[in-house]
Amino acid sequence: MSGLGPFALELGLGALLVAVFVAGLLARGDDRRPIAWLATLGVLALLAVALLLEPAGPALGGRFVQDGLALFVKRLFLTATFIGLLAGISLPERAFARRAAEYHVLVLASLLGMLVLASARDLIVLFVAFELMSIPLYVLAGFRKSEGEAVEASLKFFLVGSVSSAVMAYGLSFVYGAVGSTDLGAVARALDGDHPLLQLGLLLALVGFLFKVAAFPFHMWVPDTYEAGPTPFVAWLSVAPKAAGFVALFRVYFEGTGAHAAAWVPIAAALATVTMLTGNLMAIPQQNAKRLLAYSGIAQIGYMLVGVAAASASGTAMVLFYLVAYVFGNMGAFLVVEALARAEGSEAISAFRGLAQRSPLLALAMLLFLLSLGGIPFVAGFWAKLYVFWAAAEQGLYWLVLLGAILTVVALFYYLVVARKMYIEPPDRPGRVPLSPTLALSVLLCALGVVLLGLYPKPVVMAALRVAAPLF
Amino acid sequence: MGLHAYLTLAAVVFAIGLFGVLTRRNAVGILLGIELMLNAVNINLVAFGRFHADLGGALFTLFTIAITVAEVAVGLAIVIVIFRVRRTVEADHLDLLRG
Repeated sequence: MSGLGPFALELGLGALLVAVFVAGLLARGDDRRPIAWLATLGVLALLAVALLLEPAGPALGGRFVQDGLALFVKRLFLTATFIGLLAGISLPERAFARRAAEYHVLVLASLLGMLVLASARDLIVLFVAFELMSIPLYVLAGFRKSEGEAVEASLKFFLVGSVSSAVMAYGLSFVYGAVGSTDLGAVARALDGDHPLLQLGLLLALVGFLFKVAAFPFHMWVPDTYEAGPTPFVAWLSVAPKAAGFVALFRVYFEGTGAHAAAWVPIAAALATVTMLTGNLMAIPQQNAKRLLAYSGIAQIGYMLVGVAAASASGTAMVLFYLVAYVFGNMGAFLVVEALARAEGSEAISAFRGLAQRSPLLALAMLLFLLSLGGIPFVAGFWAKLYVFWAAAEQGLYWLVLLGAILTVVALFYYLVVARKMYIEPPDRPGRVPLSPTLALSVLLCALGVVLLGLYPKPVVMAALRVAAPLF
Repeated sequence: MGLHAYLTLAAVVFAIGLFGVLTRRNAVGILLGIELMLNAVNINLVAFGRFHADLGGALFTLFTIAITVAEVAVGLAIVIVIFRVRRTVEADHLDLLRG
């Protein structure tokens, strides 16, 4: 036990959360933007700390591990949160500016849940962290509480979320019952004994994780919540909790289970198939840009499940790389939608008409994000898809790879519809799209991420391979 | 009573809760169903903890109870907000978002 070292990020974030809360209580006047800056820069400072941290040994008797995997995803969570908060600073609504402290305390609380979840090696820690991550999200989804759509989306999100976490808790209780210990290492070792109760428990617990990553039968909340929520929050919601869900999945189902991980291949492959199909096919008829991105996000989760279905170290590593590419590509696309929505008051795809003539750089950024999501060479998403399919092919899942490749082509159709609106159709009205500096900066960061990962993915791929290797 | 009796009781409570969630049209009714499901988890955990003579089960239960309270508090708050805006908490009438 090496003191508080392994908890540096969690403690720092806890202190930041309290500071933001107190600042919110003390603040006077209607403009609470300084609080937003405090939270954003605090997260940036934590990201800098996370980049300097080295993996440490287990703490709390092995219940909390700050290993390579935990650090890798914690950096990702902090990056995503920084970009999301930065984009949210200039949100124009007055209500939002007045309630900035509430918004940021909730985002930071959820982030704290994600950080702990990434390190959890114990059922209790895992469940508490999972709920700490989820509960603030329900509130944030209904943050614009005077709008009927927002509160309705919040209620739907809450109901589906709490039912799935109840099922997950029921599953975890069976896991505990079968193993007699809440230690995840003991759970992995108990798999040798062929315990039907343990299998039942793990299967039920899967429901909670699948809800969190929004895989097929549990994806219904996604489009509604995305459409009604404040867009910078939605951009963050669409990436960070999903990454956390995947990490928890790896911790429970893969870490230390060795050959038993292969037992999940048929389930993961089936889920990947239906999730890819639903996401891609439902995305085609969408007219609202946020709903389109919601369904395309479901499809992206399907591609990541292809990597999970490989149930190997390289598959896991490639899911991690996919998550990095997805953070930049997906957040970027949502933030461009936000920029347009602020200027035009419309989130319809038709708002993109003639964007290339009005704001060529914004259109170029959106094109990069769409190409990355679509998987076109030399932007981040291409390598992500290629590596995930490669990892699945290594395990002999050729049919899954073939289906994924076909659906990638289908996906290009709806991504290019947006691109055609931007580049070929004439604009409805002249003039540049006004862009606040913070939003522009966050779009720029996403675009840089997509381009740099596309041109030189090697360091991140190597890092992902390094942190995923000890799991198996 | 043996472990099986408690597990059966928990399964019955869980099933009643799930049935409530699926059939109730009123948001408060659905919340009650969720509450029942989480209480089934607690019965399970305490019974298993006793069976293994391990404190972990009771400890886990304390945490689930606390989390349940937080969840229900948020849920009721959302229901109140939705009633203020929409004047209904019937799930069938909440249909602004479609597609």
